[in-house]
Amino acid sequence: MIKSYKLRRNLSNALVYAILAIMGLIWISPLVWMVLHSLRAEGGSAVPYLMPETFSFKNYIELFTDTSLLNFPRWFLNTFVVACFSCVISTLSVLMVSYSFSRLRFKARKPLINIGMIIGMFPGFMTMIAIYYLLKAMGLTQTLPALVICYSAGAGIGFQISKGFFDTIPRALDEAATIDGATKNQIFWKIILPMSKPIVVYTVLTSFIGPWTDFILVRIIMGDARDNYTVSVGLQLMVSQQYISKYFTRFLAGSTVVAIPITLLFLKMQNYYVEGVTAGGVKG
Amino acid sequence: MKIKRILSLVLAIALMAVVFVGCDKGTDTEGSDNTATVEVEKNAKLKVWGPAASLDLLKRQAKAFEDEHKDKNVKIEVVAQEENDAGTQLLNDASAAADVFAFASDQILKLTLAKALLPVYKQYEEDIKANHTEAAVETVKSDYEGTEVLYAFPETDNGYYLVYDKSVVSDEDAKSLEGVLEACKKAGRQFIMDAGNGYYSCMFTFTGGMELDGLEGEAQDTQKFNNYNEDDVVASMKAFADLFKKYKGTFSAASVDKISAGFLLKDRTCAAGIDGTWNAALDAEALGDDYGVVKLPTININGEDKDIIGMIGYKYIGVNAQTKYKNASMAFASYITDAECQKQRFDELGWTPTHKDVKVTESAGTQAMLDEAKTFVVQANILQAFWDPMANLGTQLYKDGAKTDEASLKTLLEKTVANING
Repeated sequence: MIKSYKLRRNLSNALVYAILAIMGLIWISPLVWMVLHSLRAEGGSAVPYLMPETFSFKNYIELFTDTSLLNFPRWFLNTFVVACFSCVISTLSVLMVSYSFSRLRFKARKPLINIGMIIGMFPGFMTMIAIYYLLKAMGLTQTLPALVICYSAGAGIGFQISKGFFDTIPRALDEAATIDGATKNQIFWKIILPMSKPIVVYTVLTSFIGPWTDFILVRIIMGDARDNYTVSVGLQLMVSQQYISKYFTRFLAGSTVVAIPITLLFLKMQNYYVEGVTAGGVKG
Repeated sequence: MKIKRILSLVLAIALMAVVFVGCDKGTDTEGSDNTATVEVEKNAKLKVWGPAASLDLLKRQAKAFEDEHKDKNVKIEVVAQEENDAGTQLLNDASAAADVFAFASDQILKLTLAKALLPVYKQYEEDIKANHTEAAVETVKSDYEGTEVLYAFPETDNGYYLVYDKSVVSDEDAKSLEGVLEACKKAGRQFIMDAGNGYYSCMFTFTGGMELDGLEGEAQDTQKFNNYNEDDVVASMKAFADLFKKYKGTFSAASVDKISAGFLLKDRTCAAGIDGTWNAALDAEALGDDYGVVKLPTININGEDKDIIGMIGYKYIGVNAQTKYKNASMAFASYITDAECQKQRFDELGWTPTHKDVKVTESAGTQAMLDEAKTFVVQANILQAFWDPMANLGTQLYKDGAKTDEASLKTLLEKTVANING
């Protein structure tokens, strides 16, 4: 048994850090590989070595300039637009639903919460064929608004986390505001929202990421309308049998590029995130 | 309270009704006007699916068709849709799909079972039967309410052949599998073949004379291996397995895209492979002057060189059974599979024609496919139950520690046949 506390601490720290470092390496290695090979100048689908032999930005440039067969810039723009719209709409709807369930008392509150929970338990893709035919009846298939509708229409049902957060904000604040003459609506915008930045950021991020990662719904709704694809379906097309040999490195470049808007949004939001956590609470 | 319940019920029914209105059209797909004379509809608007790589040419051909029928004001929209996915897309929602579309032979069974294809009109049938490769025609023959019909217009073939690097494998080597493997081994480079995939591994049994019955006509549900000599098939499997064992390290069972990838590297890691026709352009570009392509080589079974027999498929132009403009669709499908359009595709894209009037000139790949078509098993109506057992058989022949004595191979064959025959 080692007597010295310091030595013991250092030893155990070294061990813990070693384990963490190894796990970190394992976790990051696919991403590193993806970025490395997206810069690979020599073509072909897969190569037997880890380090590319020559580096260039060729794949990135071609990804955005050679749009004759597969139009990645268009898909990127589609996704971005859909993500922006559905992000705004679904964030608002989630927060409003959560606020109502947290602060307002009405007769159907409990049943509605339960219904929301139960519906949320069904996997979303179960209803996709039905969604397709409903959209078709409305003449919306193969259009981008259809995606915005699908991503944001049911968003309110994911109220649980935000509601939980709102529940932790003391009702004393609401009451104080009510005494000062604020309506429920004003309380939501002026008191609750500014104090809930972490949860707002969380909601914004999750709803923004959704369109970038969703695959099945886009695939079903868009069919053969390649100009209206989003990045996930488009990238998958790049690695299909006919294209993989030529487009594999571009596919990696595309996957890397997709991470950019999400990362930017997160970095921007991070400031508020920290601020939100420290700025909350009741004084006195 | 009761009112509420009734109201919600009505609402639910109304909602269901909306859903079903969408799919209502699915039933009226009978090809009763099969014998009607073709009069291209006025103001017909057609949507056509073709693979992105051929889109330019297809657009030009569509334009030519429009000009030919100027008086009818036909409008054709050409949309990119890969052949391997066309069937799935069509079955997802036939009314939103193309009127005329290109697809590959693996989908013909599910499309005919779903009655998603409009049978070819009688007046085109004679032309197809007379002018297209027999094997291709055979694959689209089927039974429709008691009469024999054709389900699609043959367009080109779809299969695999031996691709090799001429700087390593000589034309003489490429005649036998042993020669190819030996040359690859000497150069320290790989021979790639997707032996764990039923599409390729079926050659291990087909070479031994195995035949799959029930591929033609209506017998689709009775696909069985009835016709084979067990000893011959086992001998063929053993010959392949022994080669894989002998050339361990040289032989690689990677997927086909690794072949062109291996050719592309500065120090080519791959010297030969059994590659698909769809990768022809890539291989040719990667190898340049060293590009060699030939029909599958022979293999030595018990001291006798035998031709390897694989599977060959075709690509077709089909007409959506739910099209609004049946005559125009038929006319267009016939137009783009005639000799002239096939010639254009051969010249510009290197697609092997199925039309016998198209003269094939100086194309080793096309020649290889035409040679193979003479002996290969035609891929038509292959049931889903075929692929996995066949893939397993392939895997068992090359995997580490594979048991390649005759008794184990016999059991393996019996198990595979039992699984496929059901």
